[in-house]
Amino acid sequence: MSADIQLRNVSRRFGATVALDSVDLDIAAGQFIALVGPSGCGKTTLLRMVADLDQPTGGSVLIGGLPPATVRRQRKLGLVSQRPAVLPWKRAIEDVEFTQKVTGRAGLPARGLLRDFGLAGHEEKMPHHLSGGMLQRVNFASAIAHDPEVLLMDEPFSALDEMKREELGLWLGTELATRPKTVLFVTHHVDEAVLLADRVIVFSPAPGRILADIHVPSPRPRTAAFRTDPQFVEITNRIRGLLFGQWRAAA
Amino acid sequence: MNTTTVTPPAVAPVPPAAAARTLLLRVLKIASRIAFPVVSILGLWYLAIAFSGLPEFVIPRPTQVLAVLTQETSFVTQHLMVTLRAAAIGFVLANLVGIGLAVLFTSLPMFNRLLMPAAITIRNVPYVALASVLVLAVGDGLWTKVMIVTIAGFFPVLVNTMRGLAAVDTVVLDRMRILDVSPWKVFLKVRLPYSVPYILAAQEITGSGSIIVAVAAEWMISSEGLGYVINRAMAQYRGDQVYAVALLAAVLSYAIYMLVQVIGARINWSERSRNGGK
Repeated sequence: MSADIQLRNVSRRFGATVALDSVDLDIAAGQFIALVGPSGCGKTTLLRMVADLDQPTGGSVLIGGLPPATVRRQRKLGLVSQRPAVLPWKRAIEDVEFTQKVTGRAGLPARGLLRDFGLAGHEEKMPHHLSGGMLQRVNFASAIAHDPEVLLMDEPFSALDEMKREELGLWLGTELATRPKTVLFVTHHVDEAVLLADRVIVFSPAPGRILADIHVPSPRPRTAAFRTDPQFVEITNRIRGLLFGQWRAAA
Repeated sequence: MNTTTVTPPAVAPVPPAAAARTLLLRVLKIASRIAFPVVSILGLWYLAIAFSGLPEFVIPRPTQVLAVLTQETSFVTQHLMVTLRAAAIGFVLANLVGIGLAVLFTSLPMFNRLLMPAAITIRNVPYVALASVLVLAVGDGLWTKVMIVTIAGFFPVLVNTMRGLAAVDTVVLDRMRILDVSPWKVFLKVRLPYSVPYILAAQEITGSGSIIVAVAAEWMISSEGLGYVINRAMAQYRGDQVYAVALLAAVLSYAIYMLVQVIGARINWSERSRNGGK
């Protein structure tokens, strides 16, 4: 189950600063959207407005035709934060079950979920006994344990080293193939965006505007081999051109 | 030749002699940890008696002090219980007031601006002045002492609890909002557990302090309790009694401190994570 997302003329100002300027975006149900752009371009702000953690100062956001606040109260949103949002006094399994208890949505069996996330045998471990990559996977499991329709991810791999990052990225791709969701994925990493997403939205430096909306036609989930595909090379080069071109123009 | 071909068992058991030696070493280590402070305190004590030239009622011998504790047990115990009662009730109230105010101030910041200055003022009033006023208002009984202990102890709890309630990681609060967890549940299941290490840290101050403050309050106003015993003993030139009571109060404070440590280590999640989560 998943829902479509519609942004109409969305702006966000912080005092005199314009973080996001008249953004229009239509996301079909089940699509994986990556948001890339320089720091401070408002991509996280956009994610937070879809999550009902922030409110636009202009325009409207609709998820399945409803305001984000309504969808949030229906517990149909999932959020994967940059840092793990696990509770430090709960074991991995307890943290996943916490999501299910407080939402009253027992979506997926916690133990099976952790197994799918490659955490079999680690269910009873405390957060400080898990490696960074494992902890971020617990964070993922806890974020989707109530089976949300929309999954919002704010640079979920940024704290990990390059190898873990690639491994978890590919793993996320296959996970989503079995549990389709509408996904918004904020990242700084162009390769990661192209490897995972159906569409890559490229933002300009502040005030954030959409520079380009680039489709990645190859079907998901993709394997590491896609990195050597001419399509991958062509698209990543195009995005880099857009980003660096903008930076040069801004400098 | 033959002796060299005999293979030792796969898992070599620790030879009994070595095991006994490690046990002995451990016992010696614990014994020395207890013996060193006792020896050094007693040593300094006897040195002070020998070189200060002060009369016996000002600085009695340790044996005299111990004699008070062993021979006047029922008298000491009776007053000890009085002090303990005031300290215990005051300690519990200090926590109720401290945690209660912290919750109020955190959830309704208006009350923080309104009442925090008053809390700081009350906390900084000298206890002597406080005792003098309270004895007129409430009398010289249990509740005056309880109030002094509470007033002396609530502030560290208040400040630390507030710090703990505010210490929740913002990504965790985002998670709670996304999952639409009610503010009450966020408080109970997230903010309160987050503040446990902070509240426990305050107990080290408030817990052992409550005994000392109760004794001081009794010394000033009461007609019973360890503080009163000190007062009366001094009037009768019974330095040995004063020292016995002081020793008792110090040991008690220390015991409470240790108790807080032991209980703390069991329920403090941050302590557990530092010690390996066992």
